[in-house]
Amino acid sequence: MAAFVFPFNPVPRLRRRMARWFESRLPCTDSITLTQRTVYILPTRPGLMLLLTLLVLLVASINFQLNLGYLLTFLLAGTALVGMHVCHGTLRGLALNLIAPSPQHAGASAAFDIQLTNARRSARHAIGLSLLEAPPGQARHWSWTDVPAQGASVVQVAFTPLQRGLHRLPTLTAETRFPLGTFRVWTVWRPAAQVMVYPAPEPSPPPLPPGQPLAQGVGAAGPAQAGGEFDGVRAYRRGDALRSVLWKKAAKADDDRGLVVRDALPAQRHELWLDMRQAGAAGWEHKLSRLCAWVLQADRLGLRYGLRLPGLEIAPGSGEAHKRRCLEALATC
Amino acid sequence: MLTPRPALLRTLQTLPREGRDTLFLLAVIAWVLLPQAASLPLWCSLGAGAVLLWRGALAFKARPLPRKRWLVVLLLLTVAATFATHRTLLGREAGVTLLVVLLTLKTLELRARRDAFVVFFLGFFCILSNFFHSQSLPTALSMVIGLLGLLTALVNAHMPVGRPPLAQAARTAGAMALLGAPIMVVLFMLFPRMAPLWGMSTDPATGRSGLSARMEVGTMATLALDDSVALRIRFEGQPPPQREMYFRGPVLSGFDGRQWLPLRDSLPQRHALPANLQVSGDAVRYEVTQEPTQRPWLFVMEAAVQAPELPGQRLFMQGDLQWVTGTALTDAVRYQVTSYPAFTHGPVQRALGLLEYVDLPPGYNPRTLALAAEIRRDARYARAGTAALVQVALERLRLGGYTYTLEPGVYGRDTADEFWFDRKEGFCEHIASSFVILMRALDVPARIVTGYQGGERNPVDGVWTVRQSDAHAWAEVWQAGRGWVRVDPTSAVAPGRTGAAQRLVAPRGAVAQAFGNLSPNLAAQLRATWEAVNNAWSQWVLGYTQRQQFKLLKDIGFDTPGWQDLTRLLLGAVVLASLAGGGWALWERAQHDPWLRLLGRARRRLARAGIDSTPATAPRELARRVQEKFGPEGQALQDWLVQLERQRYAPGSLEAPGRPAGLGPLRRQFRQLRWPA
Repeated sequence: MAAFVFPFNPVPRLRRRMARWFESRLPCTDSITLTQRTVYILPTRPGLMLLLTLLVLLVASINFQLNLGYLLTFLLAGTALVGMHVCHGTLRGLALNLIAPSPQHAGASAAFDIQLTNARRSARHAIGLSLLEAPPGQARHWSWTDVPAQGASVVQVAFTPLQRGLHRLPTLTAETRFPLGTFRVWTVWRPAAQVMVYPAPEPSPPPLPPGQPLAQGVGAAGPAQAGGEFDGVRAYRRGDALRSVLWKKAAKADDDRGLVVRDALPAQRHELWLDMRQAGAAGWEHKLSRLCAWVLQADRLGLRYGLRLPGLEIAPGSGEAHKRRCLEALATC
Repeated sequence: MLTPRPALLRTLQTLPREGRDTLFLLAVIAWVLLPQAASLPLWCSLGAGAVLLWRGALAFKARPLPRKRWLVVLLLLTVAATFATHRTLLGREAGVTLLVVLLTLKTLELRARRDAFVVFFLGFFCILSNFFHSQSLPTALSMVIGLLGLLTALVNAHMPVGRPPLAQAARTAGAMALLGAPIMVVLFMLFPRMAPLWGMSTDPATGRSGLSARMEVGTMATLALDDSVALRIRFEGQPPPQREMYFRGPVLSGFDGRQWLPLRDSLPQRHALPANLQVSGDAVRYEVTQEPTQRPWLFVMEAAVQAPELPGQRLFMQGDLQWVTGTALTDAVRYQVTSYPAFTHGPVQRALGLLEYVDLPPGYNPRTLALAAEIRRDARYARAGTAALVQVALERLRLGGYTYTLEPGVYGRDTADEFWFDRKEGFCEHIASSFVILMRALDVPARIVTGYQGGERNPVDGVWTVRQSDAHAWAEVWQAGRGWVRVDPTSAVAPGRTGAAQRLVAPRGAVAQAFGNLSPNLAAQLRATWEAVNNAWSQWVLGYTQRQQFKLLKDIGFDTPGWQDLTRLLLGAVVLASLAGGGWALWERAQHDPWLRLLGRARRRLARAGIDSTPATAPRELARRVQEKFGPEGQALQDWLVQLERQRYAPGSLEAPGRPAGLGPLRRQFRQLRWPA
């Protein structure tokens, strides 16, 4: 007989709503010192098993009138009680600090660092950190650490942002079962920091679009021209024509910096524009992901490039800051 | 010569964490199981040892565990073997066997965290099952070690990072147990003791050694080798002489040719002999701590008129003067007794009930019967009374070349004949048995009394110790006009046995002998100290019962203590502990760095003076603001603030060498500061 299934099961929904409500009550903060109010404790299944064991031991001691049995039972009970306090104390008083996360690409596994600081004179053992909600279809991944006495340790928590944009970091949880595993002590922490999530780069994008001839009179002066020097100079790469190698420079160079070639794509004649309209992919996100791949590629090649999005134009440039600006524009548009 | 030991040690040190943890856990389990290995069925002990060794080898070589189906086969086999051994799977003995089987087999299945927990919890039960066999101090100490080992393994299992040294987990476990000990003491003292919740079938075969309800020739001699303690006596005032210390046990009056048994009620009730106990003279008052016997007997020095004071038990005296309880004593018990060494008992006139005490089974001991007939034929004794006949028998024992020995050899069918005529040597039971048979053959009512005779005073605490080796059998004969009279035929053979408590000593091992020869005094001293410690242990720990609990309550001030008061006290302790915990939490939440607290006080006072600051403002900065606001008027305050900063941050700076003032003086100075208006 098939199991009877409720067409509408209210329990998981209610649970989710409760969890969300609970979570929304928590303040957002980047550093938190755990106190009695923010540390929760409940017995685990082995803890309940231990309780049952203690009861059986007690009944055996009563029935066989074993005074040593009483002693054993009560010593074990006392130790478990102390263990409860030790377990709670492992998290209580611990300071958690978020180390500002670096931007990530959507869909890629990323990690951010959390520093645990222990002010007390004894070490804290076996503290695990994880995301509060595991990615769908996966088990939670715990990162375990010990925090030395009056010291700190850094834990990496991995997460996989799914959507581009500026996101709050996912809610975290810290947990410990040290020392006896009979209690679970945990806390829930909502970091305030936001992480910039760039679009996922297209895995195998089409080649960069051709450069556009420089429009007359429009900002014709590149930095190379201003110096009256060469068009551009860069390190030799396999496949460069031999005639473009600057042999004089190579002869002068007494260190092993290698060969230097004349840049084949002078910026003042052609300008590379990465344009949304040129990214011929279907769908908005797909286009953004192609543009992202192009930005990364252009940056890797050391090209000057500009970015044109609907309602936004970033003038050509190069370098880390420029790349970052472009990627942020892609993330948030 | 090769020395494989360092290599083994090195391998142990470099073992991967999992292997090391498993080996440690196996060692702890072996430690817990070892003390009870002797009392388990042989196959179980050997099998458990083999499985633990096998598992250890697997862990050592990092081999995979056996498959599940092999475990199932092993489990079924062992459960079947348990059933075959004990004929049941319930009950204590079978339960312990099953427990050991499950624990050892589970070590072969240590895969998930859940499995480890099962092993730990079964381990706790195994610790308890050790106490079925012994609750002595050494057992307790070794089980404390076992418990700490299990806790260490448990803590270690919850340290997932790296390869923490076991000593670290042991320290944590030890500290937790130490902190848990006060809780244990409070619970132990206040948890209401109650009777067994349901009837436990205690297998009589598992009874401890000691006197039994029957006596076959040879049983006492085995007891004589048992050095364990039977009774501990603390006399109030002067103890009686040793030769009068007869602790009365079962009286055996029925003889079937092989063994002596208590009398069966063959005669109607009205012919049963009354105790008819009359006492005179001085009383001896004392306290007895009796080790568990699994029997309902109290060993009381002859003879006690009033019932021994043993609360919670209904006591009564049988017609043969033995004091018994309603239930078997599975526990050590302590009771107060008043005894009168001078007493008479039994019927004064010849009664019908006495007929049973001259009964002998036909066809046994013909030569003893012939000896009796020969004595009767003698004109002097033809019509002699009991006293004269006893004298004849004792004379024969004294002068007939009889000896008292621990190893009389194996007796045949007619034990009395062999003793009187062939071997002429025996232990107290042979002598008493032969004596009573002769008396009965002479038509003198006689019976055997078993119990303990004599004892040994411990010079350390003054407590008399009566051991199983003091077990004794003597005789009682009936004399017209006097009733039952004690006759100890053994003292006729070996006067030292009862007077000076000389004991036959079984040959000792070479080491013990060497030790004894080297320094007999030291050995005796050590033994006496050990006995005293052991006595304290059984008085305070094993003997801690409801009676002691109520006595404690009475001392505290409860007039009529009951278990409700215990519960109330226990709850009170819990409430107090919770309040203390709450107070601690409050204190912890408050700022309790003394330096920061002092700075906080200063800041609040400064705020009233119109200088605002944040918690992050340094004292030096505060001093600057004071200077700005008050100028030279605030010099003392400025100096104090700079001192405060130095105390924390520059305990030996260049500009002002020397030790800065402590927090105490700073606090005093703060109170005496003159604040600018």
